[in-house]
Amino acid sequence: MEFLLELLTEELPASHIRAALEQLEAGFRKDLLEARIDIRSLKTLATPRRLIVAGDFAEGQEDREEIVTGPPLAIAKGPDGALTAAGKGFARSHSVDESLLEAIRTPKGEYLGFKRKAKGTPTVEILAAAVPRILGALSFPKMMRWGSSPFRFSRPIHGLLCVFGGAPVPTSFEGFQATDETLGHRIASPGRIKASDLASYRAALEKSLVIIDPAERKKMILAQIEAALAPLKAKAYPDAELLDDLTLNVEHPLVIFGAFPETYLNLPIEVLSTAMREGQKLFSVVRDKKQLAYFLGVADAPGDAKGLIRRGNERVLRARLEDARFFWGQDRKVPLGERAAGLKNVLFQEKLGTYDDKTQRLKRIAGYLCDKLGAAEIREDVVEAASLCKADLLTDMVKEFSGLQGRMGGLYAKEEGLPAAVHQAIYEHYQPGSLEDASPASVAGAILSIADKMDSIVGALGVGLQVSGSSDPFGLRRNAQGVCKVALDRKLRFSFPLLLDRILGIYGDRLTVGRAEIKAACLDFFGSRLRFILEKRGYRYDLVGAALGPGVDQIVDVLARVEALDALKSSPQFEPFILMVKRIANIIKGLPAAKVNPDLLAEKEERELFSTLSIVSSNAQPMIARGDFARAQGIIFKLQPELNTFFDQVLVMAEDKKIRQNRLGLLQSIAKMLLGIADYSQIVVEGEKSAKPKASR
Amino acid sequence: MSVQDLILGLHRFWAGQGCYLAQTYDVEVGAGTMTPDTFFRVLDKRNWRVGYVQPSRRPDDGRYGENPNRVQKHFQYQVIMKPSPAAIQDIYVQSLRSLGIALEDHDLRFDEDNWESPTIGAWGSGWQILLDGLEISQFTYFQQCGGIDLAPVPVEITYGLERLEMFLEQKDDIYDLDWSADVSYRDLRLREEKEFSEYNFTAASVTMLRQAFAASQKEAGRLIAKDLLLPAYDMCLKCSHNFNLLDSRGAISITERVKMISQIRALVNDIARRYTGGKDGA
Repeated sequence: MEFLLELLTEELPASHIRAALEQLEAGFRKDLLEARIDIRSLKTLATPRRLIVAGDFAEGQEDREEIVTGPPLAIAKGPDGALTAAGKGFARSHSVDESLLEAIRTPKGEYLGFKRKAKGTPTVEILAAAVPRILGALSFPKMMRWGSSPFRFSRPIHGLLCVFGGAPVPTSFEGFQATDETLGHRIASPGRIKASDLASYRAALEKSLVIIDPAERKKMILAQIEAALAPLKAKAYPDAELLDDLTLNVEHPLVIFGAFPETYLNLPIEVLSTAMREGQKLFSVVRDKKQLAYFLGVADAPGDAKGLIRRGNERVLRARLEDARFFWGQDRKVPLGERAAGLKNVLFQEKLGTYDDKTQRLKRIAGYLCDKLGAAEIREDVVEAASLCKADLLTDMVKEFSGLQGRMGGLYAKEEGLPAAVHQAIYEHYQPGSLEDASPASVAGAILSIADKMDSIVGALGVGLQVSGSSDPFGLRRNAQGVCKVALDRKLRFSFPLLLDRILGIYGDRLTVGRAEIKAACLDFFGSRLRFILEKRGYRYDLVGAALGPGVDQIVDVLARVEALDALKSSPQFEPFILMVKRIANIIKGLPAAKVNPDLLAEKEERELFSTLSIVSSNAQPMIARGDFARAQGIIFKLQPELNTFFDQVLVMAEDKKIRQNRLGLLQSIAKMLLGIADYSQIVVEGEKSAKPKASR
Repeated sequence: MSVQDLILGLHRFWAGQGCYLAQTYDVEVGAGTMTPDTFFRVLDKRNWRVGYVQPSRRPDDGRYGENPNRVQKHFQYQVIMKPSPAAIQDIYVQSLRSLGIALEDHDLRFDEDNWESPTIGAWGSGWQILLDGLEISQFTYFQQCGGIDLAPVPVEITYGLERLEMFLEQKDDIYDLDWSADVSYRDLRLREEKEFSEYNFTAASVTMLRQAFAASQKEAGRLIAKDLLLPAYDMCLKCSHNFNLLDSRGAISITERVKMISQIRALVNDIARRYTGGKDGA
């Protein structure tokens, strides 16, 4: 039977709509499942003023056979088999005919009882209770009150349409009795309409200029954009996020195609597109990667016959671009170097000082990274970029459009005629904004990006700012993932713990948490971020665990380790080798470290193992040092035959204590060498069971 | 239609909605929200409906009369309805129609925007109202003011009069607007914008402003202790305006900014707490 619900509200923010639809679907699934109502279909739809649930549910619960038990048989029946007073009383109290009573076998013994058909509850009754409960449990990123009620919701509520099988469900929510009526488009067709199922609802609203399906609205937008741009052979600059938001901002999408004076094309494309997008939610128009003097907007209207909506938007955009042109002109009058002096007055973080303090640290961190990365030829440029990279925070343009920070500084530096490495590094130093975003294209940009983010992370953890569940006030997760992504993308080899030491040294006594504690926290934090990144790239969680086992020294090595493990995981040698390693790990678990004395190696097999180990070890070490784990791993497989023979022929737990210690020492040195490549003991092989650890965010 | 007609139209409309028409407040404020007709009246339990024009001073927005959109003083039409009526969105839409706007030919949008004013400890949920992409109003369900949870909840509607008038007259330059049949916005305001921009950005004495800020701050504290809450609140408004002037003079570092705003907020919150009977917080 068809179910349809529409909660009519005032305009909901797009993020709230997304949150609500997820909760609605989950809520109905859970409540109906618990109530044993069969769900044949269930989906959610929305407009800015409507949260919609449509489904096809069973008419009611299935009828069931129920067993009702009474007193134990020994009490309920006499020795003659006739009902006792207790037995008769049971029948009477349930108004059941005595002939229907029977013996019911239970684990606790035999009881008097009977079976009866229980009529299933009709779905409409279940829905009447579930609807207010599910709607009342909706939570939003920010809640508000209105009128005189203490009730909190995303925005005020105006009506509840709720029908099942063509008739209103007898229920209500926050004083709104469920009906089969709603309203059309606020401006274009505001009349009352009736609907008894999804098809009539969809049709009636479409007539009232409301398209209820976001997917359909998106299609309409894309089709209209294409139609508008086809004659120009141009494209809308792709912006999926903007498109999704606009889809949820309108009930009846109308694409507005407008133009602005070509003189504004002199502005950098970054400024143009930001002014359009941030200020006015407009798409830019491009042809062959060049911006054209047009824009696309999405209105909530059936048409723009008089062109008033287009002209209005053109006028607003022109004013905005005029402002941007004013900022572009003003900002370039003061060189970045001069402007940077003002950073003394801009607070970075209360305990971590001003942006000038940060700038001074960045110069040293970036310089250190250049030294470690052997980038001497760009060291001077990188340090100059570090000294200028925050100055754009003081420009009018960045004050107006904060999303342009970094990029604006790079553009102004280019205008000043600074070297390419300098302006590019400034431009790129906030990149990547997310894991999906590109890493800096230049080495200088990559170095400055890492320096900037590491300074923030070490500083924040160093003054006790914590990252927990949903709270990450300093964007530390994003920053740490950025550092990892840049190091991995650009294959930058530097010792991560030594970088931490250097930054801790530069911060000096500004930090309030102990150095060892900060360092441990950073290593732990980066371990969890790398785990997140690698699992997201599709590597098996246990291989990722094994790759992280040796700790985070070189960030790039963690990836190289997991790649090597991943490549080898299906080779026939892999599983026996892992089992062997685990066997070793079990034997030496918890034992104090012992040294091998070659003179005490009594048996031929252990001498051979020892000499193979020496060769394998001296071959593998340089490979490990340069991060070539695939080859190192290939080499250590060579230990397998000797190890097999060793375990077959030699008794590790020898009677003689010295010999026993020596053999355990031999196994320990093998384990130690292996741990330089990966913590193999974390790898799960066939036949073993291990619960996946809770994914870290 | 002139600015004057617009004001008369809004007066007539909101008077018809049961609003008392207040007169402009005589202390400099950054927004209509800050005047006592809003600040104090939203705090108590009594139902309240008011509409009024309030000049809003934002020294930092001065452009020496050279920018067609930005001015350091503009006019707001401020409406408070407490409790917020269920049909308030429709009433607002009617107000636009009553000004002669044929909404069927336009794109009217309620675009998420959550207003807040840290200086007076106030915030709310609502929208900026866009008409063909132009922001013409701010529409807010007030949740908190002076740090106090508001119940019943007032709705605040603020029309930007110049913006709306530019839309109505289809003009691109604020100074081309007609204030009345024969007085233009240029006649009335251009000289004021030039001189005040000069004052706000270069001529105002930083020393005097700092002293004035400190004096008003001290006086507010003294008056609060005497339970003279309305005069104390005036002193907070003076602090706020002096702070804005110091800011446009470029005399305030970011650190200092946070400190000064929180100093004003502490006084304002104290006033709100005492005004509502002192039971909340403290």
